[in-house]
Amino acid sequence: MAFLFPAFLAGALAIAIPIVLHFVRRQSAPPLAFSDLRFLRRAQTAAVRRRWLQEWLLLALRVAALLLLAAAFARPYIDATGLAGRPITVVALDRSFSMSHPGMFERARAAAREAVAAAPADDLVGVVAFDDRVGVAAQPGAGRDAAVAAIDRTEPGFGATGYGPALEAAAAVIGAREGRIVVVTDRQQSGWHAGAGALLPEGIEVSTRLVEPAAGNLAVTAFDVTPAGAAAEVVNAGSESRPGRVRLIAGGAVIEEEALALAPGPTEIVFDAALPPAGLLEVAVDDPGGLPADDRRYHLIGAADRVEVALVGPADDAFYLERALRAAADGARFGVRHLEPAAVADPALDGVAAVWLLGTAGLDRSARARLAAFVAAGGGLLAVAGPRFDPALAADLLGPGATLAPPAAPPSGALGWSVSDVRHPLFQVFAADTGGLAQVRFGRTRRVELPGARVLAVFSDGAPALVERDSDAGRLLLFASDLGNAWNDFPRRPAFVPFVAEATRYLGARREAPRSRLVGDAPPGVAPRPGAVVEPDSGRTIVLNVDPRESDPAQMTAEAFAARIGRSSGAPAAGTARDDAAAREAAQGWWWYAILAMAALLVAESWLGRAVA
Amino acid sequence: MASVPRPNELRYLDPAVIARIGSMELRARAVVEGFLSGLHRSPAQGFSVEFSEYRQYMPGDDTSLIDWKLYARSDRHYVKKFEEETNLECHLLLDVSGSMGYGSAGVTKLEYGAYLAASIAYLMNRQRDAVGLLAFADRVVEHLPASGRPGHLRRLLLALDALRAERGSDLSRPLDRLAEALSRRGMAVLISDLLDEPEKVVRGLRHLRFRGVDVIVFHLLDPAELTLPFEGAARFRDLETGAELSAVPSAVRERYLQEVEAFIALYRRELRLAGIDYCLVDTSRPLDLALLAYLSARARRY
Repeated sequence: MAFLFPAFLAGALAIAIPIVLHFVRRQSAPPLAFSDLRFLRRAQTAAVRRRWLQEWLLLALRVAALLLLAAAFARPYIDATGLAGRPITVVALDRSFSMSHPGMFERARAAAREAVAAAPADDLVGVVAFDDRVGVAAQPGAGRDAAVAAIDRTEPGFGATGYGPALEAAAAVIGAREGRIVVVTDRQQSGWHAGAGALLPEGIEVSTRLVEPAAGNLAVTAFDVTPAGAAAEVVNAGSESRPGRVRLIAGGAVIEEEALALAPGPTEIVFDAALPPAGLLEVAVDDPGGLPADDRRYHLIGAADRVEVALVGPADDAFYLERALRAAADGARFGVRHLEPAAVADPALDGVAAVWLLGTAGLDRSARARLAAFVAAGGGLLAVAGPRFDPALAADLLGPGATLAPPAAPPSGALGWSVSDVRHPLFQVFAADTGGLAQVRFGRTRRVELPGARVLAVFSDGAPALVERDSDAGRLLLFASDLGNAWNDFPRRPAFVPFVAEATRYLGARREAPRSRLVGDAPPGVAPRPGAVVEPDSGRTIVLNVDPRESDPAQMTAEAFAARIGRSSGAPAAGTARDDAAAREAAQGWWWYAILAMAALLVAESWLGRAVA
Repeated sequence: MASVPRPNELRYLDPAVIARIGSMELRARAVVEGFLSGLHRSPAQGFSVEFSEYRQYMPGDDTSLIDWKLYARSDRHYVKKFEEETNLECHLLLDVSGSMGYGSAGVTKLEYGAYLAASIAYLMNRQRDAVGLLAFADRVVEHLPASGRPGHLRRLLLALDALRAERGSDLSRPLDRLAEALSRRGMAVLISDLLDEPEKVVRGLRHLRFRGVDVIVFHLLDPAELTLPFEGAARFRDLETGAELSAVPSAVRERYLQEVEAFIALYRRELRLAGIDYCLVDTSRPLDLALLAYLSARARRY
């Protein structure tokens, strides 16, 4: 018997109350002088024996009722693993798609069965199967036959290896006991995500049983589609060049096919075929003897990829922005609409993912509230603090504490600006060369303050040029100059177009959830396998692709594997074991019986209490 | 033939009322005079012939005692009063053990017993009988040999007034001692709650009876002892031993009453077999019932 919430057992201390009352009440009767006790004593002999029994039975009923109440709150369940004190061996079986070379997973199952057989005779044996998700396939108390059966049932999936969560889940199954974890895996380096490790309690041994992969694999590791065409990257993981046939498939039909000699390492393939305006695109490579899961990669194109952007402000100020959006390399993806501030309302912003706010003249209270609601609902807004932006509305539009100083000309002539963090998605396109941005000269700027915001770019005098306040909802950016060719020459510089395009894409990204995800990020209710699927919540079609890192066959040594494991003296993570315990407890529902038994005891207590009184 | 006093006369015999009278002598007189005034004929008179005094005739007096010669001279009815001349010795045995100190009805059993003893002594003294007192617990506390001399009654009453309940209880030893000390036939009146070993008590009384002593036993019990009227759980403390016992009266009452009835029945049966008069006295009842029992016992024997 185990308890889901054992802390509630402390409530059993309440039994002290009826016990104390029981004895206190005995002493509370006042003394009464009487001539002689002989007759009372004789009469008492029989009555006291009966009453003694009744009172102790009454006390026992009350104590039992309180114990049952505490037990009910602690949620008891029968612990299948509850063979107390015995050590546990957990076999962690890697089911990532890198284990799916022909015949490889059979060898993995055999190694896992051997690990079960080799576990010390006194050990309970459990099984967890993992890729980037972890599941307890067999509880330790279920017996070794059940463990072997669970191993035989396990099939390789399409997920990537995740050693950290797997080891922590296995440790949770072991709990506070002694135990050992045997990881049956191909020991891929990519199974440890960058800088990640696992923290296990002292006393849990970890060992690995290596399952060697077959040599050679071709994998489609990238597939990018632009208006100019489609391009893919195919990686030959072997040490020798291999012939390969690569096909571009649209809507189930091959629209281009190439036979190539694929040298070891990555090969970029650019397709010439004209792409359909919308639909599912697929790149496939023939790979007999390799991993089947990474032989295909999917991409969705079409109107669904468009970012609807609204330019709010005077038409003159919107001119350069509109031209820049149309001139962008993927300009077809932007649906641009121009809105006068007074026209900001629900229908006008429907479907809009990004807003450039260029001026506030005519932006009434309801329009300002609408823009705030737009950001709160996940939209992206970039406010341009140019000459058309009224500083008095800063707090209304940008949130409490936001201030804009009057525009000022720098005393030392025009200012430049520089990016504070080139890793920011907005500036990644400039990561290789920020010189284009550096050419911009700012004749007038504003001092801006946006509480809680981070600075993305600064003017050469150190003042913030572009700040961002991110939240769980939408994105809010503030640019401290204008974009209408009034206070600076940015619109006339080459960096303007990519900046505007990236900024627009960044603003719209939060509103528009990605349509391409890894299998490990598949939404709930969707089978974790590559291909086009429909999101249950939104009804949108998205594509799932395997994690390209899993196609990297690079191995690590057992020592390097062990070096990623840290040790803690604290309790193991509850995680999966806790979930399993909760599931068992919910299925058994013993607390109901405890409550019913307590009710029956209280009825009996009432009846007996009246009889004693 | 005695008759029961009328209700308006009983107020003088109520133990609670008697307890409020100043001295034991006054109490005894109140009891006896009040009691006797209600009787049609005094059972204490009859075999003594020495003239004592005249008293105006009162309704209820025996008409044969009217002095007709005096009536002829004075035209008023007077009755003759006689002094008894007996050689009877009466010994009052009063239990002063701790249990006699218990009382729930205004007076303790010891007080009630003392009034009863005083009343009997007063009666005896009126009849010129010798009366003595033996007060005892587990030892003899007070002993006044029987005497009919003037002033003895006063000493006896003062001794009764001074008695207090002791702790222990042992009836058999005083009874044996009295039996050994008696040199002539007489009468013994035991006033006790008899809360001792019944076998020992009966054996002691038989010893007395064997020595030719007429014995009358007044078994005093408080109404609470007879009914156990308490409610709610209580810790009962023994007045003699200090021992305590927790009990719920409602739970034990039935069995308790059975035990008490068996106890009384045992004494009643054993004493009857021994030729001893037994009178159960509820201390909440008027003293006249006890006195009537006494007088009727005397009438049967003398």
